[in-house]
Amino acid sequence: MLKHITAQIGDELPQVVFGPVDRTMLALYAGASRDHNPIHIDIDYARNAGRPDVFAHGMLSMAQIGRVVTNWAGLGNLREFSTRFTAVTPVGALVTCRGRVVARLEQKGEPLLKIELSATIDDGTVTLIGDALVSIGEACGR
Amino acid sequence: MGIFNRASEGQRTKPVSVDVERGALVFFARTIQETNPVHFDPQAARAAGYADVIAPATYGAVLLMAAAQEDGRDAHALIGADLRYLLHGTESYEYHAPIIAGETVHVSTKVERFWEARNGRLEFASLRTAISHVDRGDLVTAQRVLIHQLR
Repeated sequence: MLKHITAQIGDELPQVVFGPVDRTMLALYAGASRDHNPIHIDIDYARNAGRPDVFAHGMLSMAQIGRVVTNWAGLGNLREFSTRFTAVTPVGALVTCRGRVVARLEQKGEPLLKIELSATIDDGTVTLIGDALVSIGEACGR
Repeated sequence: MGIFNRASEGQRTKPVSVDVERGALVFFARTIQETNPVHFDPQAARAAGYADVIAPATYGAVLLMAAAQEDGRDAHALIGADLRYLLHGTESYEYHAPIIAGETVHVSTKVERFWEARNGRLEFASLRTAISHVDRGDLVTAQRVLIHQLR
């Protein structure tokens, strides 16, 4: 049985820390995600667009937040997952991803936990906030 | 009054078939430093009851991009996005069933609506993408809001 079945409101999920984000990581993520937007990988393009440098894909941080939830509850128990990108993640940032159980609820007869999620970089800026719903019903241990 | 192509509101792309390739999925999982082997080790995936490796939680975004590229267009060309000013506002998923390597999925995106804030200096577009399988039905539904940050 996965640990989340017995979780209490207020429980913190194990963190995921990734980075510092470097340019190689952004190039690899551009290829792997098929998001080839040059604003994330080409400093000349970024400067022409009025930015000081390239910045990380928001989806790279969302992927890390996703790991916080699925490592803990299992992908098979994940029902909904939403994020809002609140600031850009610069090159060099160390990103800490956190989750916390905030509520129990029921949807379509299924008991669920609501998880509040965030990503914060080392200067204290919150770059992403979000939430997820995970099932604590007929849990499959995946 | 904004630079998104407002005429695309309500339009839906034709469903595009995308092969969920194991190699591409594993490359993505490794790149995001995924540690659960169901995402990169076919044996571990089979031991967990899946036919092959399964997609991590945000892989819908990759299939959305792949579908547009298969269709010979940029993912955000439909809404007239200008990449110089484009920011990602929100991303949301509803999960119905796993996305499994080796399968073919169908991907279709609808342009939901456009709106503005701060006297037009922020321009928003909302898109909804359905990823489905011919036998297994809906797999993942994704909604994203994109923003033009204009000066």
